[in-house]
Amino acid sequence: MKVFLIGAGQVGSTVVETLNHDHELTVLDTEPSRLAAIADRYDVTTVEGDGTSRRDLQRAGVADADLVIAASSRDEVNLVAGMFARRETREATTVIRTSNVEYVDLWREGQLDVDFVVSSELETANAISRIIGVPAARQTDVFAEGQVQIAEFDVDERASADVVGVPLRDASIPTDSKVAAVIHDGQMTLPRGTDEIRSGDRIVVIGSPEAAQAWGSLLLPEGASTVREVVIYGAGRVGSAIARALLEQGVGLRMIEASEERARRAAEAFPKARVYHATGLEPEFLQRERIGQAQAAVFAMRDDAKNQYAASVARVHGIPYTIAIAHEAISVPAFEQAGIDVSVNPRGVTAEEIVRFAHDPRTKQVAMLDQNRYEVLDVTTRPSSRHIGTAFRDMPVHGALIGAIVREGKAIFPHGDDVLQAGDRVILFTEAANVPWVVEAL
Amino acid sequence: MNQAVARIGRSRRIAIDLPAAFNLVGTLAKYLGLAALFPTAVALWYSEPVWPFLAAGAITSGFGLALERVTAGASTRVGAREGFLVVSLVWLLAAAFAALPYLFAGGAQLGHPLDAYFEGMSGFTTTGSTVVTDYGALSHSIDMWRQFTQWLGGMGIIVLAIAVLPRLRIGGRQLMESELPGPELSQFSERIRSTARMLWLLYVALTALEALALASLGWLGVDDRMTPYEALAHAFTTMPTGGFSTQAGSLASFSAAAQWIVVVFMLLAGANFALLFRGLARRRPRAFLQDEEFRVYLALAALAAIVLTTELWSYGLVHGEAAIRAGVFQAVSLVTTTGYTTVDFGFWPVLVLLSLFALMFVGASAGSTGGSIKVVRHLLLAKILRRELDQTVSPNVVMPVRLNGASVDEPALRAISSFVLLYVGAWAVGAAIIAIDSAISGVGLGTLDSLAASATALGNIGPGFGITGPMGSFASLGDVSKLTLIGLMWIGRLEIVPVAVLLTRHYWRL
Repeated sequence: MKVFLIGAGQVGSTVVETLNHDHELTVLDTEPSRLAAIADRYDVTTVEGDGTSRRDLQRAGVADADLVIAASSRDEVNLVAGMFARRETREATTVIRTSNVEYVDLWREGQLDVDFVVSSELETANAISRIIGVPAARQTDVFAEGQVQIAEFDVDERASADVVGVPLRDASIPTDSKVAAVIHDGQMTLPRGTDEIRSGDRIVVIGSPEAAQAWGSLLLPEGASTVREVVIYGAGRVGSAIARALLEQGVGLRMIEASEERARRAAEAFPKARVYHATGLEPEFLQRERIGQAQAAVFAMRDDAKNQYAASVARVHGIPYTIAIAHEAISVPAFEQAGIDVSVNPRGVTAEEIVRFAHDPRTKQVAMLDQNRYEVLDVTTRPSSRHIGTAFRDMPVHGALIGAIVREGKAIFPHGDDVLQAGDRVILFTEAANVPWVVEAL
Repeated sequence: MNQAVARIGRSRRIAIDLPAAFNLVGTLAKYLGLAALFPTAVALWYSEPVWPFLAAGAITSGFGLALERVTAGASTRVGAREGFLVVSLVWLLAAAFAALPYLFAGGAQLGHPLDAYFEGMSGFTTTGSTVVTDYGALSHSIDMWRQFTQWLGGMGIIVLAIAVLPRLRIGGRQLMESELPGPELSQFSERIRSTARMLWLLYVALTALEALALASLGWLGVDDRMTPYEALAHAFTTMPTGGFSTQAGSLASFSAAAQWIVVVFMLLAGANFALLFRGLARRRPRAFLQDEEFRVYLALAALAAIVLTTELWSYGLVHGEAAIRAGVFQAVSLVTTTGYTTVDFGFWPVLVLLSLFALMFVGASAGSTGGSIKVVRHLLLAKILRRELDQTVSPNVVMPVRLNGASVDEPALRAISSFVLLYVGAWAVGAAIIAIDSAISGVGLGTLDSLAASATALGNIGPGFGITGPMGSFASLGDVSKLTLIGLMWIGRLEIVPVAVLLTRHYWRL
């Protein structure tokens, strides 16, 4: 597939990193240094030019692309580039990135002539609201209209003995779920019945949303299994998007915002949330408002350092579960090091969402786990696939695991006797390097 | 600002464009005088002397014309600053206009200038307090003039409420739900003009409907005393929540059916006219349920009716349907600040009086013809207080005060707090003056009666307690008390602030 990418910033380079193996990429950016950094590392065509200039787009060959991604950090550039690309080629799929939720609404109403609009704020908010749903998870994602959930957990000494330290075939695993992978010392294995989960492992589970919740309470039994109240630090664009997503989930919400103006606007926008005008760092305030009684806190301020510090202070005041926004990719490991439970990089989440559009049309959605080493695919089987009619017990195990199938719109979590049928949507877990042949085999 | 500064007298810089303000007052007076034509027609019909009305109209219009001439060439830019003075003067002037026919033909009851002015002010402010003691002695035309002044006052209030007060930042723009652009009072924008016209049309239509409903009782033989004359007279004073009656017994003189009809129209008159327009004229009945103030207004009226009925029944004053009717009627009459009565509550037990007294401070909806504090202010005040208490515990919490889902801005909230303070202050001062004056002049007005007299005037309600009760009159009060009551009616009608502003030094001088 020919992919034309506008913008070589953080989102752009993540997109390049994921797509450069399997696709023919052209990257357009105004900044030569950013292009050089990409050209040094990946085999892609780079063109210096302006995404808002139709001539530059033409010169760079946008007309030949199958997929146009406008992923610069500026909404206006992306909008204009998306429109121009549309003029040059009607065949290509156009995807634009925006940081303004208003554009997403416009697009949904059919007012924007592009195929997809991806908003960092919205993707971040959705990612966080999924995590809040299964608080023990490091990361979770949903497929098949929310019927199938995938969750990644860190197993530690608090985990229940029902599942830890016993061979998987003897463990009391929640129904409708499967352990897709066990990562031990950075080494991923697709577990067999004789394998066992040990403390310190990281595991990936595929199952129904209820099963994912059950896993959450197995691995983190004391409290915190269902989050009733969340505190959000920061009521800017990201914080507000998160607030909206969490309120839709029915979670109790408190927000802390240092700017009086933003605090007022948040209070007006979210009548159900309790909004404080405070920095959220003064012990007196935290004590008086019993901030520590919330089951989770999300740190969505603009400054990564502030998020990290505020998370540490919140931990001291008793918040058991902390999720922080890491605007810089480098902050993700730093946050992890500092004891923050989950960090979400908005640009990373956005890139992941954008990359989904580059897959085979049969491949609906993709989630990437563990710095993009593993992927979850949603593939519809072809009638010509050689695995049609094969019972799951007899499926060859080649570094891929089928977690669920969606048949006639309903999710089935298959057992050994079930048989794969043509037209089934298969949700499977595999290493990123295996994606092309796995898709081919189905 | 500089062109608005005129230099008069000893070259003091004054901040207000007096000629422009007077010019507008003159224009308004000129047209107001035409209102005398209606009672003239009534007088002709009943073969009563027409000259008192013609003279009153001529004097008023002539005065208006003269004022306009004298100030001709003044700037036509009447801004918000002049607005305070204009509305204050217009109501004083209108009351004087209303008083002229009483002065000319009021006989012993109304002929005294102070009494005539009291009755005129009570009419144009749609209060309904009266100095009349012998209704039989009044001619038809004078009777109808009293009723008519209230109806005109109601029309004035609609304009005041939709166009003038919101621009003077009283009541708050958000409370009225009407967007009123620009600060120019003299150049009523087309939007305001058309809004006013629509609301007037609604006002006229509802009045006509009520007159028809009441008159049909007479035609059907349900209520023999309800002649077309009486029907019109009472429709004239229901819609402006006025309360003047042609009968000493007020609505007690009419049948139960007539009383229930009046209850319905009082409730309508106490609703926000903009809301009525949307709900009735545009046929969107859901608008009523969606409006927070309307819901609280109905709930308060219902609660008041239940409490009163229970009290009346348990005291054994009335029973059965009569108790329910008396409870509902008095409750609705006081909440809407109409002031009609069907029973003489002036000498009821103290507990019942206290309930009635409390109702005098409720007031109808904002944007209605009613007076007093008004439901929306109570509603917002309760929300402000709840926020204050919340912020006492959690000083950092940010809580916008909402009305119908939208947050009300802080200046509007401050205005509400200060209005309620001014209101209570004015009421207390008024009550004190009346109490002292009554004590000195030996009028038999008790403490509660003085407090109620002040409240009923300030709230533009009408009847008080004791001798000023429903079947009594304000005639026996001393001159100082009457003057005080006139002042209270006036400032109450204008929601106090426009008058209070006139008392500040910086209103006049830079």
